[in-house]
Amino acid sequence: MSETAASETAPARGAATPKRGVFSRWRRDPLLPEAGAGGAPLTAVIAVMSFLAVLAMAAVLIIHQSAGRWTAELQSEITVQIKGVDAAEIAAGASAAIRVLNETEGVEEAVLKSDEETAALLEPWLGKGNAEAFLTIPALIDVKVTPALRADLDPLRESLAAAAPGATLDDHATWHNRLAMAAQSGQALAVLVFLLVMGAACAVSMFAARAGLAANHEIVSVLHLVGATDEFIAAEVQRRFFVLGLRGALAGMAAALTALAGAAFLLERGVGADSFLPQFTIGGWHALWLFTVPLATCLVTAYTARLTVLKALRSQY
Amino acid sequence: MTAKQQIIRFESAGLAYSEAGETLSDINITLGEGEFRFLTGPSGAGKTSLLKMIYLAMRPTRGRLFLFGEDASAAPRDALPLLRRRIGVVFQEFRLLDHLTAFDNVALPMKVAGVNVNQYREDVSELLNWVGLGDRMEAKPPTLSGGEQQRVALARALVSKPDLILADEPTGNVDPAMSERIMKLFVELNKLGAAVIVATHDLHLVQSLGKPVLRIADGRVTRSAAAGGA
Repeated sequence: MSETAASETAPARGAATPKRGVFSRWRRDPLLPEAGAGGAPLTAVIAVMSFLAVLAMAAVLIIHQSAGRWTAELQSEITVQIKGVDAAEIAAGASAAIRVLNETEGVEEAVLKSDEETAALLEPWLGKGNAEAFLTIPALIDVKVTPALRADLDPLRESLAAAAPGATLDDHATWHNRLAMAAQSGQALAVLVFLLVMGAACAVSMFAARAGLAANHEIVSVLHLVGATDEFIAAEVQRRFFVLGLRGALAGMAAALTALAGAAFLLERGVGADSFLPQFTIGGWHALWLFTVPLATCLVTAYTARLTVLKALRSQY
Repeated sequence: MTAKQQIIRFESAGLAYSEAGETLSDINITLGEGEFRFLTGPSGAGKTSLLKMIYLAMRPTRGRLFLFGEDASAAPRDALPLLRRRIGVVFQEFRLLDHLTAFDNVALPMKVAGVNVNQYREDVSELLNWVGLGDRMEAKPPTLSGGEQQRVALARALVSKPDLILADEPTGNVDPAMSERIMKLFVELNKLGAAVIVATHDLHLVQSLGKPVLRIADGRVTRSAAAGGA
């Protein structure tokens, strides 16, 4: 074909290029319409999922933090109990035990509880004033020990038995084990809740991706006919769901952090002080863990959408 | 002298939408590089169905279809996009994406092929200017007239410089002057080496260009020599 013939009909070179925005070089227009993927409802559901997931993650962290604090206290403390037939025998045994403890390497502090303090411990079970009236109350000595001594308490136990026959040493092992088990159970439950929320996010994403694909059937068909691969279309959907998921996840995290900050503030002010709720602070590494939740939520959302679309495209189109 | 590459070859192909019977039967046609065919026939005869098989929206339910030398009727799904990228289609109902601008609609084949915007911006603009839509590049299809939409669809079909151009009633919504320009463009692209099939009812158009005609009737394709002559 000659140049002349071509120039008569073919488009002219050097035609004006369209005036697009300053940022059009970086902006990438979505090939799927904004409303096509369920937009606002999906963002709202992801926000709720993220809210619950952040709370579950916070529960894991708070239980971990509190259990660590409690078990550290139990690990460094032991209790020596001195029983006897009367108050004089108990007092003599307590003095002997204090002497042994003070002479033992690894004992940091040994404090004999007063009779009033010991009786107060029994009040929840026996009622006020009943303990002193009807019982010979044993003496209790709170002892702070080093980890080295804690590792092997048998020599101390033998020394105490020799000095004060009515003395018994309680290393709180039973409590420690029960507390550790309770903490582990609490953490496992919180992790389970977290995983369930992630599973729900997967299910929601799958449903929304299928609905979006059905709603955009014509667009997907045109994309295929102009040469798009399934992976290209899936990547478009994935990018769209990532953005929706990120919006929802950040909103959910903001709401959860607000709720946690409110709870921390109320606990600090003494609201619920009588309850079993521990005081907590979330910062540093803990905060980083919380920030992984929205990231995990939107990654789960986006990747699930990708896999759903790929599977649907391969079976339907 | 090198032999012309075969662009399309149907071998005893048939297409059935249901078990009731075949819409198209015993298709045995070939189209080589740089060849031009009109496709005519009454409404419902199967022109669009034949085109659908060629642009791989459907595969023959019987027989074989070779495109660019590859057996498209048996090709794996992953191989189809590369074949489709070599085909430019002007759909009868345009099939533009309403949420994209005219510019982005025309650029679509380049985007899906992963071409950088800087490499196609000028080509897209040039094509839109040529079809008289230089001032409507940022307009979205719902705001364009039928004729304008058809021209956007035409530009989209041509932007990737396809080896095979399929047009289903490409002049149905444009004025006679634009219709003539579009047909001249097809002829020029055909001279440059692209194979072209134009499905049309417009017998005047068919006669004016004097190109060979494929006629569909009762689900079968028959050939006829160049009609009329220009």
